[in-house]
Amino acid sequence: MELFRVSRDIYGREVLQGVSWDLLWVFFGLGCVLILGHALYRLILAPKQR
Amino acid sequence: MGPLRVVRHALPDRLFHWIGAACVLTLLATAFLPIAGVEFGWVTAHWVTGLVLMAAVLFHVVRVLVRGTLGSMWVGRGDIADAVEIAGSMLARKLPSRRPGKYSVAQKFIHHAFAIVVLATLITGGLMLARIDTPWWQRNPYLLPDATWGIVYVAHGLAALLLVTMIMMHIYFALRPEKLKFTRAMIRGWITRQEFDEHHDPKRWQVDR
Repeated sequence: MELFRVSRDIYGREVLQGVSWDLLWVFFGLGCVLILGHALYRLILAPKQR
Repeated sequence: MGPLRVVRHALPDRLFHWIGAACVLTLLATAFLPIAGVEFGWVTAHWVTGLVLMAAVLFHVVRVLVRGTLGSMWVGRGDIADAVEIAGSMLARKLPSRRPGKYSVAQKFIHHAFAIVVLATLITGGLMLARIDTPWWQRNPYLLPDATWGIVYVAHGLAALLLVTMIMMHIYFALRPEKLKFTRAMIRGWITRQEFDEHHDPKRWQVDR
């Protein structure tokens, strides 16, 4: 998986175009993992709220 | 004994929150739907929404400065003590005894995280406006060197990706049963006196002055 998008200019040099959009699924997945992790912690380990 | 309801968010603050939320969701949709293959003329909707968000943030900053309420989001020694106690309580599997003021330390940190990331998108997005034609100016792609534009694009994209994770977390916490009082306060403006007494330290959030 690429971290960045790059292109080449008219002289053949690499030009940075931005972050790779493949990372969208990484950040979405990270959100899911954090939510699931917190939900499981609250369900199993955390003391009951007042 | 004070009034039955305690005002937590005044109407202008709630309007800022929901206008900002609508803008950020629109910006993410107009940015990522075309990448996911949903093709439409996204550029105009994206930059116009960005300008609306910029105006909303400016309004919020000016309002906070004029009213002198910057301190309510300041992370002070009391907040650090809260964080340490929360961490200790998690390890000991007991409830923390300290009650926060108006905002918990977690709420302050998420506010600051959103502030940094949204400002990053606005500053980089503002620069990127130079690269498109608008009713007020013509595009000038040579404002910055190519290498600098690359850094601007990376910062804009990274901030947008961070917003995806942060918004997912924000909505999750807003919908959790124990946090619904805060969500209601962001919609209707108030929490009940009982919620105030149970969850807030009246010395740190002085509503009866």
